[in-house]
Amino acid sequence: MGQAASGGLTQGDVDEVIAASKGVFNQAEIESLYKRFRALDRGHKGYISPEEFLSIPELSINPVAQRLVRCCECPNFTTFVKMVAPFSPRASREDKLVFMFTVYDVDGDGFISREDMSMMLKQLAGSSLSEEDRQDIISRVLAQAGGAERLDFPAFKSALSSADLGNMVVEIPVDL
Amino acid sequence: MGELVKGRVESSLPGLRGIVADDKDQEHALVTREGPTKGDAEIDQLYAEAEDKRLSKTSLLLDVLNISNVLTDGVSAMVDDSFNKCFTSTRPEPWNWNIYLFPIWVVGVVIRYLVLFPIRVTLLFIGFNTLIVVFLLVDLTLMPSKRKMAMQRKLVQWMCSAWVAAWHGVIRYHGPKPTPGKNRIWVSNHTSMIDYVVLCSYSPFAVIMQLHHGWIAFLQKRILSSLGCLWFNRTEVNDRAVVAARMKDHVNKEDAIPLLIFPEGTCVNNEYTVMFKRGAFDIGATVCPVAIKYNKIFVDAFWNSRREAFGKHLFRLMTSWALVCDVYFLEPQSIQPEESPQEFAGRVQAMIAKYANLRIVPWDGYLKYYNLGEKNPGLIEKRRRVLADVLRAYLGKTSAAPSAIALEKEGKAAVELQSDGKGQKGEVEGVALQGWRKLCVGGTVHPV
Repeated sequence: MGQAASGGLTQGDVDEVIAASKGVFNQAEIESLYKRFRALDRGHKGYISPEEFLSIPELSINPVAQRLVRCCECPNFTTFVKMVAPFSPRASREDKLVFMFTVYDVDGDGFISREDMSMMLKQLAGSSLSEEDRQDIISRVLAQAGGAERLDFPAFKSALSSADLGNMVVEIPVDL
Repeated sequence: MGELVKGRVESSLPGLRGIVADDKDQEHALVTREGPTKGDAEIDQLYAEAEDKRLSKTSLLLDVLNISNVLTDGVSAMVDDSFNKCFTSTRPEPWNWNIYLFPIWVVGVVIRYLVLFPIRVTLLFIGFNTLIVVFLLVDLTLMPSKRKMAMQRKLVQWMCSAWVAAWHGVIRYHGPKPTPGKNRIWVSNHTSMIDYVVLCSYSPFAVIMQLHHGWIAFLQKRILSSLGCLWFNRTEVNDRAVVAARMKDHVNKEDAIPLLIFPEGTCVNNEYTVMFKRGAFDIGATVCPVAIKYNKIFVDAFWNSRREAFGKHLFRLMTSWALVCDVYFLEPQSIQPEESPQEFAGRVQAMIAKYANLRIVPWDGYLKYYNLGEKNPGLIEKRRRVLADVLRAYLGKTSAAPSAIALEKEGKAAVELQSDGKGQKGEVEGVALQGWRKLCVGGTVHPV
């Protein structure tokens, strides 16, 4: 219920978005995300630019803010919802792992290579970790994760088999 | 607007959602209702400790590959954040939705738009223009003298009263009426430009205001200048010394008209209050707090300058039944011996927040205009170093305390990383300015 979904969201759009995000969100959550999308998209361009994302203070102090923001280039509303989808309490563990893999795979070739890991570690651990130490860490990780030169998704998944991803949930504020 | 939103408890460290925080532990709260509790260094330390708690330190694979926590923080901020909440207006529930109430509502609309509004506009037009003409006459014909100044002040007060009447303002003033005094400065929370009008119709004030465009600029320069109002541009505000000097100058004058400052620096939605800047608290004057609380029953007085032109805002005010407001003049405060200006600002903010029932949020109001990460790369670096230390431990190396030079290098490197190598050099202040300018160019950033 509540007020009509503001400016331009039709039921058809909602159905389409729900389908695109594999049904993890209900109608109220989609409406709420739309309100948020509109609030972030200041020029009403239909997509959110990296600067608009980084103007959120709590996001701009995040170490991997840059990667997150570039990960989904200027998302329109559907892409925005798909990005938040793995964090729904109804999302599967598989979805969460896929998302993490996509973020880690910087060049997007389906494998986490040494370069991908190097870039991510620069964002995660900063410049206080020397290049030499970084490469060392990467070698060890690759060795422990099966010995290949780069990680594919199954290797990534099994490396994280003991990880508790229960915290990887974001609640969408919904007004009743 | 409570702390719990559908079972979700707000974490006490903004931007860190993934951790199981001891939220009930008030000691860790950055800001309580009594004011900011921690300094910058302590806050950085809290973040570092929280990061440390999240790492396993036993499995290299997990610590490197499991980025779920930091991703959750990020996406959580994308979905909702405490800063944005300060600038949203909640739409009231529509009450006109059934067959009995709807006609009544329609009648109300007709009266408001077709009867009240024209009457108000006409009266305002006549009244205000008369007063402006009289004012300009006085300005041009009389020689500068005490009597002239007194007359001008009275006229401005009447002009503001005319505006308040045009909005059908029902304003209750609590507390002793302000009297001009040497070395006193007034501070208030800020919701809209009409704050100034509401206060001025009761007792004249001078303000430091952002210089606007169009017809407002005419009003500002011609009329308000006579009251001793000071103008600035946000770029100039970065030059704290200039503004501080001007303020000091003003409050030291013998019969200075009370100077009013809005330390938040921007309009906030009257439910929250953002960080008070320390400028007004740093000049050694006694601070007289004023709290303004608007009752949203008929109209929401918050002016969201990015969503609404000022004209439209005024139109909305003039087509509602009434503007209901409470103004509290609070006890003057002086800086205590061991207090820093920032702590003093926080204490006064807590007083105002209590009377105006506002939630205190630790963000700087100017964040509307620039990127926090760019301005404060130190915090991000501290968080990163936590992971770096843990990773080095796996390699069997212990981390030495970094030297000052190394820290500075890291800070600069962090800035480059954060700005994706756009080549932003210079000190942190310079970075902030560039970041803000970058957003300004090509964007529709309203000055307020």
